[in-house]
Amino acid sequence: MSTQTTLPPAGAQGTAQPAQRSGLTRLLIETPETGVIAACVVFFILISFKAPTFHSVGNLQVVGRDLGQTGILAIGESLVILTGGIDLSVGALAGLAGILAAWFNVSGHMPAPLAILLTIVICGIAGLWHGLMVTRLNVPPFVITLVTYTVTIGAALAITSGTPISGTDPLFQNLSAFYVGQIPVPALIFVGAVIITWFLLERTYVGRQIYAVGGNKEAARLAAIPIKRRITSVYVASAALAGVVGVLTVGRESGTADPSVGGSGWELIAIAAAVVGGVSLFGGEGRIIGIAAGAILLEIIHNGLLSMHVNQYDIQMVQGAVLGVAILLDRLRARYFGRGERG
Amino acid sequence: MSLPQSPATSGTPSRAVLARLRGVHKTYGPVRVLDLPELDLYAGQVVGVVGENGAGKSTLMGTLAGSVHRDGGEIEIDGAPLVPGSTHAAQDLGVALVSQEFPLVGQLSVAENLLLGRRPKESKRKVLTDRRAQRAEAVAILARIGVTEREIPVGRTVRTLPVPARQLIEIAKAFGRKPRLLILDEPTSSLGPVEAARVLRLARQLADEGGTVLFIGHRLDEVRQVSDRIIVLRNGRLVADLDRAEASEDRLIREMVGGEIAHSEPKVADREKPVLLTIKGLTADGLGPVDLEVRAGEIMGIAGLMGSGRSRLIHTVAGAQPATGGTMQLEGAAYAPHGVGDGAQAGIALIPEDRKEQSLVLFAPIKDNVTVGILRKISSRGVLGPRRRRQEGQRIAESVNVRMQSVEQPIGSLSGGNQQRAIFGRAFASNPKLLLLDEPTRGVDVGAKAEIYELIDRAAAQGMAVLAASSELEELLWICNRIAVMNHGRVVEVLERAEATKERIMTAAAGTAVSTLNGPLTNGAVA
Repeated sequence: MSTQTTLPPAGAQGTAQPAQRSGLTRLLIETPETGVIAACVVFFILISFKAPTFHSVGNLQVVGRDLGQTGILAIGESLVILTGGIDLSVGALAGLAGILAAWFNVSGHMPAPLAILLTIVICGIAGLWHGLMVTRLNVPPFVITLVTYTVTIGAALAITSGTPISGTDPLFQNLSAFYVGQIPVPALIFVGAVIITWFLLERTYVGRQIYAVGGNKEAARLAAIPIKRRITSVYVASAALAGVVGVLTVGRESGTADPSVGGSGWELIAIAAAVVGGVSLFGGEGRIIGIAAGAILLEIIHNGLLSMHVNQYDIQMVQGAVLGVAILLDRLRARYFGRGERG
Repeated sequence: MSLPQSPATSGTPSRAVLARLRGVHKTYGPVRVLDLPELDLYAGQVVGVVGENGAGKSTLMGTLAGSVHRDGGEIEIDGAPLVPGSTHAAQDLGVALVSQEFPLVGQLSVAENLLLGRRPKESKRKVLTDRRAQRAEAVAILARIGVTEREIPVGRTVRTLPVPARQLIEIAKAFGRKPRLLILDEPTSSLGPVEAARVLRLARQLADEGGTVLFIGHRLDEVRQVSDRIIVLRNGRLVADLDRAEASEDRLIREMVGGEIAHSEPKVADREKPVLLTIKGLTADGLGPVDLEVRAGEIMGIAGLMGSGRSRLIHTVAGAQPATGGTMQLEGAAYAPHGVGDGAQAGIALIPEDRKEQSLVLFAPIKDNVTVGILRKISSRGVLGPRRRRQEGQRIAESVNVRMQSVEQPIGSLSGGNQQRAIFGRAFASNPKLLLLDEPTRGVDVGAKAEIYELIDRAAAQGMAVLAASSELEELLWICNRIAVMNHGRVVEVLERAEATKERIMTAAAGTAVSTLNGPLTNGAVA
């Protein structure tokens, strides 16, 4: 007897009701990133009208180079947040990475590519340390990455005694000051990171398992997903990407590694970009398109306000307000569509 | 349409043993929650498992599925030994479990959940996802339990689906593993009648294909319909092993509750006392309409099976769950709480079910835990003095005989019974009129239980009305003046203590649930 014939026809039970919603509503439910992307466009147009210099090629190149920093950090940070963790060390680690790369190159007389590689590996090891502490000893991610944050800021200052390291290999500058066509290299690296991350998250089993781990750890455990390995890997990725960002910063400062970079609060911008882009701090939710759009939006606002000659302090307040509004809108959306409760 | 019945498997004495359990036992603390010297489960059978709450059903199920680490004994599935405490080992031997809470990832699609942690069988890709193969296999898995793409689109995010659909996904997941032994833990509790009938049919089908289904259920009629054989557990032991024909509902209830009846002076409610709480037509999510009256000085018990609305009633009265309709009166005055704050204001004290999660700050000292409800009262002009806090804490703790070294010691260092007494002390400290109890003695050893019953008696003697929900019938029979029996969110019977017996309560709690199952299944199975 076949299954089909033994079972009563279902249908009136309405297991799939919500599918009947109109196209726009569905778009908003299924693509929550629409809002951020729309905001990017709106702000871009608005600011272009207010500050004509904003959409000049020169300024957009600055925007692109900035994305090579906070944008890449945001991607790594988001990976961690997707598993339900947080990485507070990325800004400080990026700062130390710049110092290390320059120091290896200048004081250690290492060839630039080797210095860069070694730096990124060291950052990766820091990430591995985070991952192991979180998965093996159950240390809260907040705490262990805060430890690294503090230590790395200190280390950056200790190595340099507080003075910038100059005289690095021209390769550092080439990485940041070089253009392909009109596009600065850091922007390309950002785009590359976005594409690779998209592919990883959406098109590989490992990526889908990262969502599963963040979305429902118990379900992931029962499904025999290697939870500890997945979690550890995102901390490694986050820290290694911070290393990449650190190397890029050296080039931006005309080949000088400045120990004050680490303390400039980039981790908070990275977290903000993730949240604005629709990544849930509870884990399991958020897509790369939103993360990228979130980073771009924050950068547009930051740079746009600068072009409008708003002072730095006010800009910081605006950025905070943007984060607040994004969180508010996200919760309202969640409530409106009846999925306020998690899972 | 009739329920498929395989003639080869019903009533034949010599069958292949699929699962062999020998001397399996499990102990939590001092309590032996499972003790099975010998149990064989045969291929081709649906085996119903019934028992009161705490009879050991979940432990048996967990032991087989590997989520509970058994203390000893041997389990063989198809002749292969099952390593204790490993869900993977159990899965490898073909044991699949459908539990009541569904471990699904809400953010992922139906297809991804169905294939969580593995690749589609047809896919050659090792690293990259293969959406087409994933989709095809997901559709096939759902089709195996007769669910079409139209009902549950495999591309949909699980979170956006209603609960019955999620339950079906969970069941499909278990069936998708082609299990030899399928354990269903109250699989129909969150389903409507049509889907419930479908699940029972699937259980039957799996047995007809040579597998074994362990069906744990609260609705006795449902268990009787689907099972070839019904085993009854009581206090962790197998007390009856019945054929379908022998297993009348009366017999099952008798076996479940056992011979013993709680002995206590039947308490009679004092009719002279004024009615303190009046509930009329009260409804809330999963509750009602409920009508109930509780007098001052009366202890009213609430009995019912899991999911019958016991806790919901308590929570709605306390203001912890919003009422959607009906009225409540407290001492004749209208009472419509918008939160537990309103309840407390009106003189209601709630002692929730889960001590650790809902009542205590475990690492905080006893004095802080017991004074938390009266901080305003013991502060002078809003300032709380350290000495006053200590004194009040001492007074409250001593008033309920908390055994401790000092009020400064963390409350988590006390035994369960002592913690629970401290919580009673805290509740009494605010001089409530109505005391709401949800499982007042859960996780408390026998000696401490008696002391808690004394406290409940004391509350009633002081004139409080007590509403106590409990899954332990003996407890209710011991402490209550009257017992309200709930079923499907309604109070189906209110029994005076003198007329209340375990059998009567169980019959009221389980018996009437019967009629909710309709459709073709009933016709086929009852015949």
